[in-house]
Amino acid sequence: MTAAIGSVLMPSPADGPWTGFSLAERDRRWRSVRENAAKAGFDCTFVPLCVDGRNLHLSLEQARGTRSDIRYLTQLENAAIAIPTDGRSPIVITQRGEGNSWVTEPRRAGPGWFPSWGQAMADALMELGMDRARIGVSGLKGGKVTHGRALDGVVNHTAYAETKRRLPNATFEDATDVVGFARYMKGDEEIAALKRGAAIAQAGIDEMVRVARPGMNAGVLYARVMRRMLELGSEYYPLAWRISTIGGPAPRYEEAPYWIQLDSMDVVAPEVDAVWGGLVAQEMQPILLGRVPEQLKPVIQLQRDVFQAGLEYMKPGTLFGDLIDFINGFGAKRGMRTIILMHGRGYGNDGPLLTPGDISADHFRDVPIQKANAWVWKPTAFSADGKLQFSFGGVTIVDDDGGHLVTGRTPGMIEVV
Amino acid sequence: MSTIVDTWREYSIAERDRRWNGVRAGAAMAGLDCVFVPLGNSIDARYLTQIRGAVQSSCIVLPTDGREPTVITEYGTNNWISEPHKVGRAWSEPMAQMLLDAGMQRARIGVAGLKGGTFSHVRSPDGVVNETPFAHVMQRLPNATFEDATDIVGAVRFVKSDEEIALLTRGAEIAEAAIDEIVKVVAPGVDASLLYAVAMEKMLEMGSEFYPLALYIQQLGAPQGRRWTNPPHGIRLEKNTLITDEVSAVWGHLVAQEDQPILVGSIPEAWKPVIDVQRDVFYAGLERMKPGTTFGELNEFVTGFGASRGLRTMTLMHGRGYGDDGPLIVRSEVPPGVDKIELQSGNVFIFKPIAQNADGTIEFTWGGDVVVTESGARPLFKRKHGMIEIR
Repeated sequence: MTAAIGSVLMPSPADGPWTGFSLAERDRRWRSVRENAAKAGFDCTFVPLCVDGRNLHLSLEQARGTRSDIRYLTQLENAAIAIPTDGRSPIVITQRGEGNSWVTEPRRAGPGWFPSWGQAMADALMELGMDRARIGVSGLKGGKVTHGRALDGVVNHTAYAETKRRLPNATFEDATDVVGFARYMKGDEEIAALKRGAAIAQAGIDEMVRVARPGMNAGVLYARVMRRMLELGSEYYPLAWRISTIGGPAPRYEEAPYWIQLDSMDVVAPEVDAVWGGLVAQEMQPILLGRVPEQLKPVIQLQRDVFQAGLEYMKPGTLFGDLIDFINGFGAKRGMRTIILMHGRGYGNDGPLLTPGDISADHFRDVPIQKANAWVWKPTAFSADGKLQFSFGGVTIVDDDGGHLVTGRTPGMIEVV
Repeated sequence: MSTIVDTWREYSIAERDRRWNGVRAGAAMAGLDCVFVPLGNSIDARYLTQIRGAVQSSCIVLPTDGREPTVITEYGTNNWISEPHKVGRAWSEPMAQMLLDAGMQRARIGVAGLKGGTFSHVRSPDGVVNETPFAHVMQRLPNATFEDATDIVGAVRFVKSDEEIALLTRGAEIAEAAIDEIVKVVAPGVDASLLYAVAMEKMLEMGSEFYPLALYIQQLGAPQGRRWTNPPHGIRLEKNTLITDEVSAVWGHLVAQEDQPILVGSIPEAWKPVIDVQRDVFYAGLERMKPGTTFGELNEFVTGFGASRGLRTMTLMHGRGYGDDGPLIVRSEVPPGVDKIELQSGNVFIFKPIAQNADGTIEFTWGGDVVVTESGARPLFKRKHGMIEIR
């Protein structure tokens, strides 16, 4: 069975399942990591056992991000990998030796149901001749384009300390950007997966618009949207949203807020994320349970304009610093304010990360935009007095002529009357 | 303006003090000056603070001498922690500073989550602590000693209060409601992803936090297939499809779990004695679960139960609580040291013993949340035992 979601014809998960990325995509990723490692002078790139985001009660992005590098390099949820820079095959370690089409000869972390990983990781590095090597470790710190929300990194302490203890003559250095800049450039298969994810997220928004009403329990609305995306085959990724009156405080919820009942003139502003092929798409669509008041209309118009102008501006070769300045200065011409809001899309906690808490982003102003970058683009517009604000956005892919919103939705507020 | 519905939101102050005093007492017995829950161990941090991080959760230093704990967090306050110290996205130095402020420069510091424990973090033998900030803390306190204290927090988590048991009962109710939703939609031809979607919808609308539903879906009698923790892909239900599930709901931070096999079709005769013995070992096991019984004794009883009928039975159980609770006994394998541990009143487990026929080609598991009382374990759920048939 097939449903049409926007411009995407989508078979049901039973009939059109996700079957994994190709070996060519695997080789593209591994090659890119090797090239980045060679430039940085590393003998190998090592992704050790990382902390488990699911149990950490982190934010959505951080939870997905903790083991994102290993998913990127193996398509496995939990593993460790050592990739020699010289082109030899990597060694992959998994809990009980489980593999997949990319990893056909994984090593078992140890005996028993739940083994310790430190020795197996050290053995892998020694087998690759890394006893005295310069080893690049991904995930020790936050990077420029990945793990941006995890400044203290994502590596498990006990297993990593044991690995280092067993290789006293090797040096271990942060190499988060070695994997990060490989992830930064999406392949064609990744872009196709993100488009599918964006279409599923759009279906989630459509469901919210269809059922949201004053008097409805917000937890029930949340559940309806999640059901819609799950039945279309998305992995579970919690809907995040703000519920407020126009101009009022807008608390953010990342679970079903079962204690809230919606009222007329409430603004429901969801970030609807769907996951297809492991990649997280996001669509943001404010919905008003009523008619848009006159005073908000110029803010919405400004956001629409800065959104489109930004898409045109983000051509390959443009530096982030220039894009940031362009967007942050855009609203002043109309006596209002605009700020940049965006972050990468991919396996989780992708960057660059530009939020209201850090709109200047000095540490990656020098990073150029490249063709096949993917992010959620959602600049924010404010009224002159700063009391009203509006943000809309979604998955955007950079091509030669600038950014493209993959769903083709029109920026604006949806009214539910 | 949206309306706030009156419902459970927070634990009592009495529950906070029970937990803190339990941890302090354990730390004192171990000769530790404090218990430190560092970045990465959000489960224990939540247990001790109620803060569920929108970002990085929280870290806590709980001095053994009765002083108030120090808590750092990026977001979140509640009735337990009214004024936590706020941090940004960089945690390393604030973590070191909170120990220094508590006077732990030369202390014996117990670290919760450095390794897997007996009662908690049982699936994480390498612990859950984040490397970079913890390495920084050790560097900043070179004269302090750091020792694993996972079981000090774990032993407190092991025994549930009445407040917690009431919340776990609600969690079991939510999980059972999700099972009912699955049963409603199961039929030949249905896309298996729908089972996941309707179960999750029901649990979310009843207020559960998200916890992945686990599904195994295969033809009756086939070897156990892939474990799905997201919507299954590429599967339509057929006659004789067997659905095995672990439906977990989270209420009051606590993870309840109910397991209910569902068959598209009728139960074959060969399965009936296996299902019967599983029922009998389940209820006989509940009677054995009295305070003072050791896990070794319980396991021996369950493992030997099926032999008189020419069948096999095995223990499968683990603790219920904030997540990754133990002890964990998988297929009658008791972890070292656990066999001598006694059950206590207020322990809560998912108890789901396994029954097999003699050659192991038929296997049946069913179970749910149970609480240990003076007279044996009592189910927190209401379902009747058995395989549900969809004919």
